[in-house]
Amino acid sequence: MSDDDVKMSQIARVLRAPVRLSASFDARVMAAVRRLPGHERLKLWARLTTPRTVTLMPLPWGLLAASVALFAVLGALHFVVDIDRAAKPIASALFPAQAKPAPQRVQFVLVAPDAKKVAVVGDFNGWDASHAGYQAQHRGGGVWSVTAPVPVGHHRYSFVVDDSVWVADPTAPRVVDNDYGVPNSAIVVPQE
Amino acid sequence: MTLSDHRRSFDVDASSDAVVVSHVLRGDVDAFGTLVERYRDRYARYAFHMLGNREDAEEALQDAFTRAYRSLSQCEEPERFGAWLFRILVNRCRTVGARRGRRARTFVADETALLGAAEDHPAERSAWREEIDRALQQLRPDQREAFLLKYVEELGYDEMSQLTGVGVSALKMRVMRACERMRELLSEVHSV
Amino acid sequence: MTRSLRTVTALSLVARVVAAQSGGADPRLVARLDKPTYVAVNAIVDSARAAKLPTAPLVDKALEGAAKGSDGPKIVTAVQQLRVRMTSARAMLGSNSTADEIRAASTAIEAGVSGRDLARVKAATGKRAVTMPLAVLTDLIGRQIEATTATNLVIQLEKSGVKDPELALFQRNVRADIDRGADPTVAAQTRARGLLQRGATSGKPSE
Repeated sequence: MSDDDVKMSQIARVLRAPVRLSASFDARVMAAVRRLPGHERLKLWARLTTPRTVTLMPLPWGLLAASVALFAVLGALHFVVDIDRAAKPIASALFPAQAKPAPQRVQFVLVAPDAKKVAVVGDFNGWDASHAGYQAQHRGGGVWSVTAPVPVGHHRYSFVVDDSVWVADPTAPRVVDNDYGVPNSAIVVPQE
Repeated sequence: MTLSDHRRSFDVDASSDAVVVSHVLRGDVDAFGTLVERYRDRYARYAFHMLGNREDAEEALQDAFTRAYRSLSQCEEPERFGAWLFRILVNRCRTVGARRGRRARTFVADETALLGAAEDHPAERSAWREEIDRALQQLRPDQREAFLLKYVEELGYDEMSQLTGVGVSALKMRVMRACERMRELLSEVHSV
Repeated sequence: MTRSLRTVTALSLVARVVAAQSGGADPRLVARLDKPTYVAVNAIVDSARAAKLPTAPLVDKALEGAAKGSDGPKIVTAVQQLRVRMTSARAMLGSNSTADEIRAASTAIEAGVSGRDLARVKAATGKRAVTMPLAVLTDLIGRQIEATTATNLVIQLEKSGVKDPELALFQRNVRADIDRGADPTVAAQTRARGLLQRGATSGKPSE
């Protein structure tokens, strides 16, 4: 351990001393937790999932069918886990969403004299090297290019050469990649 | 009645986090108190040093616990509830810290917050602790966070990366800068 | 509630839970991931959806890993880490932030931009989208410009009213200067000064 590490460890030892919270902390947390709406739903779930014997009251079929339909709807609305998802189809019909801006056509160029095949992959085409429309054409002199649609916004992409070698775009901003060890390029397509 | 007085149908102290979580999800809200007792002291320490005062630390910690309760069904590894809770807390500390904005970071020595074991020279020891805490509050929040996770919580860089979403090399840089700054600040007071 | 109504209500609740479990699966994930990886990734995606985070970046991250031949655990870790970053990003940018802004902010966080600096950039852009400023900021940091210096430059440009296409041009010019051997920080400061001065002569405020 270096001198610096030793000094930092000494400092850290001091910082590891326990910290006292106020006496009412636990009670305040539990009071807050008990006020949460989730608490009721969880208790209800516990009641619903506890096995018990149930007797269906005899009802005329028509009334029973109507009850099932009605309570299925009420049940969906009252107990829905995510009420926004139920409301969304209704909201979309009444207030159609703003149209997303059209994708822009972007030219991708790679100089790769020895390549037999070059494709552009990115988060706009599911990183699929066989996606039609993103296959580069050889223009001569080792220059490969394709002009393809890229949605407006921030994207990561790369070139795949010969279905096996990943090459970041040397002309584009690089994006650090700690996930898969293969750096990507970034592109921001502005709205025209 | 304290939480520890409450008798439950299972052995609280021996139960793993996964067992306690499953009890809470089945509607036993008091079981959540076990998790509060289990983790509050350790995470209080992190929140206190991150935010610099007990009031903000308690706010962030209480918020983290209530969010954990609300989203408990989304905890993917209940046996690692502590790590999941810690991730929530790290985020809450960032939000509480950012909300305070550029309000002058005044560190007020809070002797009642810091517990100390019996020391030979308690006055000197507590002055030194105060200097360390004062220096810590002068670090940039991202550097303070990285320093605390590395040296006080003693996490490895991979764990830190999982917790914060920041890449390992960026974290190492932050830790290094934090150490340099701590040495600078503390050498003004002591020869460190 | 009578017992019959309780039964019907319970049945409808169970039906909804079953539907939620089986709905919304991306067929590309099903096709390209092995079963354990798919289950783990889908669970993360579902929890993100429940938290109202955009899910497309998470699916993309998994597909990227599959395309790059990564093993299952690495893919799951990558997706989970991205979810963490997206949660931080939204906390810093606000709940009204768009999917693109969250995506750009997550990339910025990964590059080492702090939450505080994210919030500062957001404050400087006001009602404008923060996507391009963050993409440019991430790029500058990737070119070895110190994070705070890069952030302050981007904030200055935003406060002076520089628009996205001008920012994109600024980034390209800085890159070209660096490729020709310029010191990255000097290149960025010089190009920023040029933009700000143009803004000053056209009546826009510059700092």
